[in-house]
Amino acid sequence: MDTILQGIVNGTLIGSIYGLAALGLTLIFGVIKVINFAHGSCLMVGMYAAYWAVKLLGIHPYLAMVIVVPALFFFGYLMQDIVIKPVLKAQSDVREPTEVIIVTTGVWYILDNVTLMIFGAEYRVIQTSISGKIFELGDLIISKPKFYGFIATIVVSLALVWFLKYTKMGKSIRAASLDREAASLMGINQYRVYNIAFGIGTAIMGVVGCALIPFYYVFPTVGVIFDVKCFIIVVLGGLGSIPGALIGGVIVGLIESMGAQFMTSTWTELIVYVVFLAVLFVKPAGLFGSKLDW
Amino acid sequence: MKRTSLWRNGFFGVAALLFAVVMAVSAGTAIAAKENVVKIGNIIPLSGPSASVGVQNQYACDLATEMINNAGGIKSLGGAKLVNIYVDSKSDPTVGVSSAEQLINNDKVNILSGCWNSAVTYPTTQVAEKYGIPFIVPVSVRNTITERGFKYIFRIAAKDAWWARDQFKFLDDMQKSRNVSLKTIAFVYENGDWGVGMAEQWKPLAAQYGYKIVLDEPYPSTSSDLTPVALKIKKANPDVLLLTSNASDAILLNNTMAEMKVKVKAIVGTGGGHADPMFRKNCGKNAEYMFDVVEWETDLGKAGIPEVNAEFKKRHGYDLAGESVDAFASVFVIADALERAASLDPKKIRDALAKTKLCSGPGMIVSYDCVEFDETGQNKNAGIVMVQYRMIGDSLERVSVWPESAARKGFKTVFPMP
Repeated sequence: MDTILQGIVNGTLIGSIYGLAALGLTLIFGVIKVINFAHGSCLMVGMYAAYWAVKLLGIHPYLAMVIVVPALFFFGYLMQDIVIKPVLKAQSDVREPTEVIIVTTGVWYILDNVTLMIFGAEYRVIQTSISGKIFELGDLIISKPKFYGFIATIVVSLALVWFLKYTKMGKSIRAASLDREAASLMGINQYRVYNIAFGIGTAIMGVVGCALIPFYYVFPTVGVIFDVKCFIIVVLGGLGSIPGALIGGVIVGLIESMGAQFMTSTWTELIVYVVFLAVLFVKPAGLFGSKLDW
Repeated sequence: MKRTSLWRNGFFGVAALLFAVVMAVSAGTAIAAKENVVKIGNIIPLSGPSASVGVQNQYACDLATEMINNAGGIKSLGGAKLVNIYVDSKSDPTVGVSSAEQLINNDKVNILSGCWNSAVTYPTTQVAEKYGIPFIVPVSVRNTITERGFKYIFRIAAKDAWWARDQFKFLDDMQKSRNVSLKTIAFVYENGDWGVGMAEQWKPLAAQYGYKIVLDEPYPSTSSDLTPVALKIKKANPDVLLLTSNASDAILLNNTMAEMKVKVKAIVGTGGGHADPMFRKNCGKNAEYMFDVVEWETDLGKAGIPEVNAEFKKRHGYDLAGESVDAFASVFVIADALERAASLDPKKIRDALAKTKLCSGPGMIVSYDCVEFDETGQNKNAGIVMVQYRMIGDSLERVSVWPESAARKGFKTVFPMP
């Protein structure tokens, strides 16, 4: 019984962090209609940024967000502006520009391998003041860094929803995602909107990076581990849907955590994919995806 | 019109590029042919989950090669220099196989070496056997690699059967000498060839020594969260926990178990990730008192170890690990065989390797006396040491504790783990 409860709590906490990582991906897709294959690498950049901020400045990992998140925003902004925009422009008459996928795949390989060249293949773990700290409620053990990651997920998602609903830029982003041509006719600079949406999507990876480093290690291909999860979560929840990403994340986290109580953990990956396929079979647009579009 | 011109430009561009590449490659081979070299093709993981150990392997080979070349190369071949060609296996068996084909057919290597991951070594050695190119396996421990009747495969490391055998011997020894009763046992291992192979060895041994198996858990090395595994261990509450882990998961599992307050009487690792210096650096106190099986340790009292280790540490900032030492020694085994073969004919190199009896020289910093291969190509002397992780000052150190003859002076095994 204890381990079941423990499994539920842990699955929800780690799942919410997966969900946060998937949020950036779903936002970028929802707006630009581009599947960002470099998403995991952006997470890797976020983790390295967080790692070095904590290591060199000696600050608390959550305080490091003040530096890491804006840095990642500009990183994403520039990546969209310099690398992806030219390709998008060349394909401006295509609704879902597939060439961009190839470009983002290239970015993924370049980022991972440049990191490998600069920092080497070694695993880096940093001991922060909250690493390995826990709350104990009776027999229930809750990892503090995971709990704070859960909080960060809620805060970031609420902030994102508020931003999209109530700010002018947020409204422009939604407009451009609904119909880029109509939005352009209304005087919205769609490429600026894309830059900002991409920047936000990447900035979220900065938050995830800071939330992960107290308990996870950093290495050049760390993104790949989360990449596949993010794609499953995003499609499971519905492409472009914010609640879909969060709920999808928690579902995957719970399956991994609870499944392992009843079978070897090698098999839980299988269960994730079975549930994934079952959902697509019943509801092809994903749990929260609308039939039309976002 | 536009399309045609683009095609033409593209075509000429590509043709020019191809021409340049062909010229460069042929120039390269021309130079290589003139130089007196022996090419060793190393297929090791340089990216992906095993990259950190792969890179250490590479560093160790580089150091050994440099030592041999500086000492005059292979004298019977007119001072031929050893040249290492490294190919990244990405820990992927299919990449390993295709790299071996490429190294043999395009790079014309004289000897192959690798591949760290047993899952990669197993099919890759098959390619070498097919072409009749000698293949040195420094570390992959899966039994069956040398049990297929192959003639060109030689392994430096102990087989996993020997590792498992000594893990149980050690536990038995401890039970008797410390009067601790160990009844239940849990197996937690990565779900690749190596982990599964180890678990296959453990099961009959557990039955033989009268343990009750309370958990048998293969897990994927690339997990993003190992809390579920830690919880299962906690629930099963075994006396002994046997682990087989790669590098990243060893760190994650260890820290998660500490967080989840998993307590067992003895945790015994199987080298690999637990022997990786990164493990020590990243786990610290969380890994104290854990045991690990290794072939080698920096504190072994053998001539040459301090010097070689100091040089390695100076270059890369961390100590040699058992597996890097196997890689290091393997280069000396190759050099020794080449010296005796006095030829680059693969058959002659193979025959020289089969007659290896290397007992001295700068490469022999291994824990046992001589490298000698039996008829299957297995190094029959490969020995095993048990170490315990202890905090010494601020850092986690590996202290040799068993067998008694190899134990570091002034340390007493702490058993059961507090």
